[in-house]
Amino acid sequence: MRKIFPAEELARDSRFIRQTNEQRLGDPRGARVAGGNTSERLAKLTPDLANGPDRARALMHGIFVGEIQALEGAGRTCWDFEVGEDVPLELKLDMARQCWDEARHCEISVSLAEHMGTELGEFAENGLLYEAACNPDPVLRLTGVNRALEGLAIDVFNTMKEFGNMAGDPVLEFCEDWMLADEVTHVKMGSDWLRRLTENDKERLDKALEFQKVVDRLFSFNGFRGEDDDSPIQLTRRFRELAGFSDDEIDEIADMSREARVEAAS
Amino acid sequence: MPQVSVTPESFEMVFYDAAVIGEVISEVAERLGVEETITLEIDEGSPLGRSKITSYDPIELWVDGGALENTQRPRQFGEARSRDTIGRLLLRILDRRSGRFNETPADDELDLMQFAAWDVHCVGRLERLGIGGQRQRRLYQFRNRHGFTDVADAAFEQLWDSSELSWTEIERISEDCRTV
Repeated sequence: MRKIFPAEELARDSRFIRQTNEQRLGDPRGARVAGGNTSERLAKLTPDLANGPDRARALMHGIFVGEIQALEGAGRTCWDFEVGEDVPLELKLDMARQCWDEARHCEISVSLAEHMGTELGEFAENGLLYEAACNPDPVLRLTGVNRALEGLAIDVFNTMKEFGNMAGDPVLEFCEDWMLADEVTHVKMGSDWLRRLTENDKERLDKALEFQKVVDRLFSFNGFRGEDDDSPIQLTRRFRELAGFSDDEIDEIADMSREARVEAAS
Repeated sequence: MPQVSVTPESFEMVFYDAAVIGEVISEVAERLGVEETITLEIDEGSPLGRSKITSYDPIELWVDGGALENTQRPRQFGEARSRDTIGRLLLRILDRRSGRFNETPADDELDLMQFAAWDVHCVGRLERLGIGGQRQRRLYQFRNRHGFTDVADAAFEQLWDSSELSWTEIERISEDCRTV
């Protein structure tokens, strides 16, 4: 079986339609994000919005395909690297555990899609998460996926959990809460392995953190994820702390979002 | 077949064809028994899904480009979604003309709960005509407005399954959920 499996060859049945990043970012109406669009003045996702339930459905579908790709990415990390030469066995065990979590999240997401009236494949799939999981350096891969993307997942799950709470929807609220707990663990794994594997390699640490920033920036359209009250997706400081982010790192993400927001407004 | 006028005639930001859109609207209108001319204005620059009736007589409709979009293939025309969007608007026009909706407030005075309840009644009828559907999606929207309760679910069933409710009945069904 080959190593580093290309994103364009991931197995999907006919229900799923892939949208490339070029197509997504090249949409003259603005890119799709957070169940909405960068061209609209995206408000915080709440049930009170006229399009709130539909935005929640679209966002949940994005989470679902993200779970599939996270499962594929963690699975590849178990296979793509050799124990001893590239990574310690314990890292692979963590990735195997993550596969188990992601598979469970896929099943939960399918049930939630049914609950919310969404057909699987109803919305276009973007493959950016898996693409980040193709990095040939395991440290950069874990930093890009587990810290940047799973970090974003923490913010998204918390936002959806609050959405469920506000709507009085216990199914959504509890499902998101359980998945959120797993995401904190995944991000913590990323933080721990980043520090352990770069303990004596400052250059690799810097490269990994730079890669994380690149991935974070790719997901910061118009600063949709931030700490302002009206940010569509709320940056979740407390859970990020639990996941091994320092205050400075969280501040940096918040600043990046704020700058992107100002840039978009101008 | 009713005449349909679509604005704009050509599109720059999405891959829509005004003639195809006109055909779909015309077919939906015919199946609903609408015979007069329909004017549709599309804001192609907006990927949102808003839609509204700007004039009841003559019939003039306005939609975001996103309300006619294929969600699997962004910027492409979505026939099923368009049938749902146009079908709901035309049914609302027919409802208001029926005499059963004389008490209905103006569209811009309706709140989200009232709109959700009326939409359920419209889409239920469209589904039986083979025009629209997505029953679970409508139930989810209805629950978001009326509560995730057995009472709300029973109200949804009533709105969905009924063929000819009046505005007074729709409002009463919606109101009954609010008191739970």
